[in-house]
Amino acid sequence: MHSGGNASSLPLVGGAPEPTINQLSKPGRRASRFPKLDVPVTEINNSAIRNDKPSLPEVSEHDLVMHYSRLAHRNFAVDLGFYPLGSCTMKYNPRFADYVAGLNTFANSHPSTPSAFTQGNLEVLHELEKFLIEITGMDNATFQPPAGASGELTGLLIIKKYLEQNNLTNKTDIIVPDSAHGTNPASAKMAGFNVVEVSTDVRGMVNIDDLKDLVNENTAGLMLTNPNTGGLFEENIMEISNIIHKNGGLVYYDGANLNAIVGVCRPGDMGFDIVHSNLHKTFATPHGGGGPGSGPVAVKAFLKEYLPGPIVEKSEKSYEWYMPKLSIGRMHGYHGNFLVALRALVYMKLLGKEGLDTLGSYAVLNARYLSSVISKIIPLAYNEPCMHEFVATVKDLKKSHKIKAYDVGKALLDKGFHSPTIYFPLIIEEALMFEPTETQTVDTLDDLAETLKGIIDELQGEDVSLEEYPKNLPVGRPNELIPAKHLTVNWGDFELLELTE
Amino acid sequence: MFVPHSEIDLKKMFEELSISTLDDLFTHIPETLKLNDGLNVPPSLSELESISDFENLESKNTQNLICFAGGGHYDIYLPQTVKSLTMRPEFMTSYTPYQAEISQGILQVLFEYQSLICDLTDMELANASLYDGATSVAEAISVAINKTKRNNVVISNGFNPNTKEVVNTLVDRNKFSINYVDSVDYLFPEDYVFSQEDAAFVVSYPHYEGSAQDLTSIVHNAKAAGVITICYADPSMLGILKSPGSMGFDIVVAEGQSMGSPLSFGGPTVGWFATRKELARLVPGRIIGESRDSNNTKTYVMTLRAREQDIRREKASSNICTNQTLNAVGSTIHLSWLGPEGLYEIGYQAIQKASYMKQLLTDNNFNVLNHNTSLREFLVETKKPAEEVILEMGSKGFLAGIKYDVNQILVAVTEKRTKGQIDNYVTSLREVNDA
Repeated sequence: MHSGGNASSLPLVGGAPEPTINQLSKPGRRASRFPKLDVPVTEINNSAIRNDKPSLPEVSEHDLVMHYSRLAHRNFAVDLGFYPLGSCTMKYNPRFADYVAGLNTFANSHPSTPSAFTQGNLEVLHELEKFLIEITGMDNATFQPPAGASGELTGLLIIKKYLEQNNLTNKTDIIVPDSAHGTNPASAKMAGFNVVEVSTDVRGMVNIDDLKDLVNENTAGLMLTNPNTGGLFEENIMEISNIIHKNGGLVYYDGANLNAIVGVCRPGDMGFDIVHSNLHKTFATPHGGGGPGSGPVAVKAFLKEYLPGPIVEKSEKSYEWYMPKLSIGRMHGYHGNFLVALRALVYMKLLGKEGLDTLGSYAVLNARYLSSVISKIIPLAYNEPCMHEFVATVKDLKKSHKIKAYDVGKALLDKGFHSPTIYFPLIIEEALMFEPTETQTVDTLDDLAETLKGIIDELQGEDVSLEEYPKNLPVGRPNELIPAKHLTVNWGDFELLELTE
Repeated sequence: MFVPHSEIDLKKMFEELSISTLDDLFTHIPETLKLNDGLNVPPSLSELESISDFENLESKNTQNLICFAGGGHYDIYLPQTVKSLTMRPEFMTSYTPYQAEISQGILQVLFEYQSLICDLTDMELANASLYDGATSVAEAISVAINKTKRNNVVISNGFNPNTKEVVNTLVDRNKFSINYVDSVDYLFPEDYVFSQEDAAFVVSYPHYEGSAQDLTSIVHNAKAAGVITICYADPSMLGILKSPGSMGFDIVVAEGQSMGSPLSFGGPTVGWFATRKELARLVPGRIIGESRDSNNTKTYVMTLRAREQDIRREKASSNICTNQTLNAVGSTIHLSWLGPEGLYEIGYQAIQKASYMKQLLTDNNFNVLNHNTSLREFLVETKKPAEEVILEMGSKGFLAGIKYDVNQILVAVTEKRTKGQIDNYVTSLREVNDA
């Protein structure tokens, strides 16, 4: 199969391990040069000045470039192959955004520069806010949160402050589905709430009867993704939000799965009061090997004055910073991840109405198609139409042939694909969660399915070692237990440390 | 745009799904929720059309201001080598390295990042990055509270005010009290008495106003009272200042922008977090460790995972998931490019140039409030309100600094500033102030 998304030709050659930059260091070598000091030298007397030089590697610039380029060669990426990683929306990141984010004053403004000198930057945030509130169906937004989890915490602190202002401090429970991302309960705990789990019904949706039982006068709110982490649209979403609202709670939308519904429907029309978006997922900013992200929070008008700030307001002549009157405070030292927001604006402007109206549709089309072909190989967890992602399971194959989701994921790596998300959501045994995104071709989807079929057939064969894969990569399966027991977390650390809980 | 589906592709996919339009995908969504007319947004633009839009938008920012502002973010020279290596697509467009076999590149860079930070700060364990300096301070305080089970936080008042606001937001003040201790002559009082109720002592190094002191004895006193000591360090000064570890600190956090990230209007940058092994279980965020694979080959993996939210859920050490990895990659490559001599040079030149500037300001009848104890950053008094001075200096081509008080400006000097720029700044400041 010749598809664009198969990275099996990737030069991730095996062979010797790459030394660390420290191992390449030799005394007296250096890459850096600076202009000569052009002011008269004065003696500096301060008790904080050190008498020696810091400990850093000494390498030539060519050695430095070769080292980090070789390390880059040992890394899979969206630019190399298909990443069907459920819940992560690993779509194509437009190159043009790199150019815009590199423009002089976008890249190089000091964060304390007064608004009079940064009207362009403030306009970027204002323009992006307009797109974002239209797409989510909300009224106002803040770009303070630097990531999705920070957005969640922001939303929860808004709920908390709103309840305090309304003398509802008895409301201390946040309801979270048992299928939720781990950040949901962790954020709720950080905000000082009790976490109450609502179960999932056999169809894969929020168990409404359970929800009704759990909701009471102490309910502060509900956190939900829609579609949920099983990739299913919560069809009873209006009933769910009504149940929470009737009890005086607020409803929070975890934007992790927003990609499925852009242009199709909006959280703001489903009764959600607060929405965070992951610009690094839905709006195509690069994930950077784990970050930076950006997790702007949008709210209905009645919550605007609670937003963390400052936020941008437009007057007749200019853009100005505005601190909301009941603001929860600051979630970031300055203005959040501004350059990530800028990249998202680039993406939205390029897509425009034509692209944004159909964004969710194409994301769902790809997932629905892939689920259809994959369901002929391994069963799906739910017999419902999926949205932008779906969950398959190898629990039967585990019983019959001891094949684990982990084995399938590792074999896929060896065949030039990133693994799907495995063992999530936690409520599904031996889960494999696929999210193709809208930017992959049908050929690549077919190629993945065909490869998966080959793997499943092979692993069911006689005398197959399930632990064999991957075998063509720089390293094999890691022993993930060693470092936790003997903590080697820096190159100077040879001391073995036993850690106990 | 960026959607690859041709008519032939659509036909094939529709047939597989027995549908005839994209709308048929959504028959299970309640009709009342559907957007019938789509979104109210502007039409799609080609890249060619939008270039001028974005260049025009960028030009609305005042161009080419010479930067004398600091406060944690510094205009330090970022070499092309560092920028281009950091932006390699294999780093930039990869996901969090959960699949170690195909992520050895990012994992090793992060292992090197952790190691470099440990070496530089004299700590034993660093995490793989937090959001920024301000949120790192809040995370460090949370570690101290969890470790000591005490309820009071002592913070030096000589701190970036935005960082204080972040701390005030993230530390639950219904449960914990925050005691901001005033500086004496812009230094933390040596004789401050810590109490057995104090969970954390947090100090900026140098202080926000630019003054610096050896903190060894204060840290010693705090630790004697069982307090976890937290240093908020300026990474670009660590080539010339005593390391936080050598002064005895338990936790070092930093705003890492100056090492590897452009100013970026404040974000994305990176929060550094390093500590001692005793606090390993309480550390927020990801940690990379060295392990072995099935063939006993050196292999880097994410480690101590049982602290994290995806496994521990509401019992996690923090809710952080997405971090600032790419900026950490930038820090790694920048520190390696600088080496010991380069990092020293950045600090040395900044201090020498600031020293020259302070004298020049004094010679021109300006009052530098912390002349003797400050290093690369200092406070200048103005006759006119600071806000006005900064705006008028802007029209002369300078970002004059950060407003500190009604008539005080915080001025920062980096190795990038030249004698000519400093001379012109002082001349301009005199004109503005006297006008």
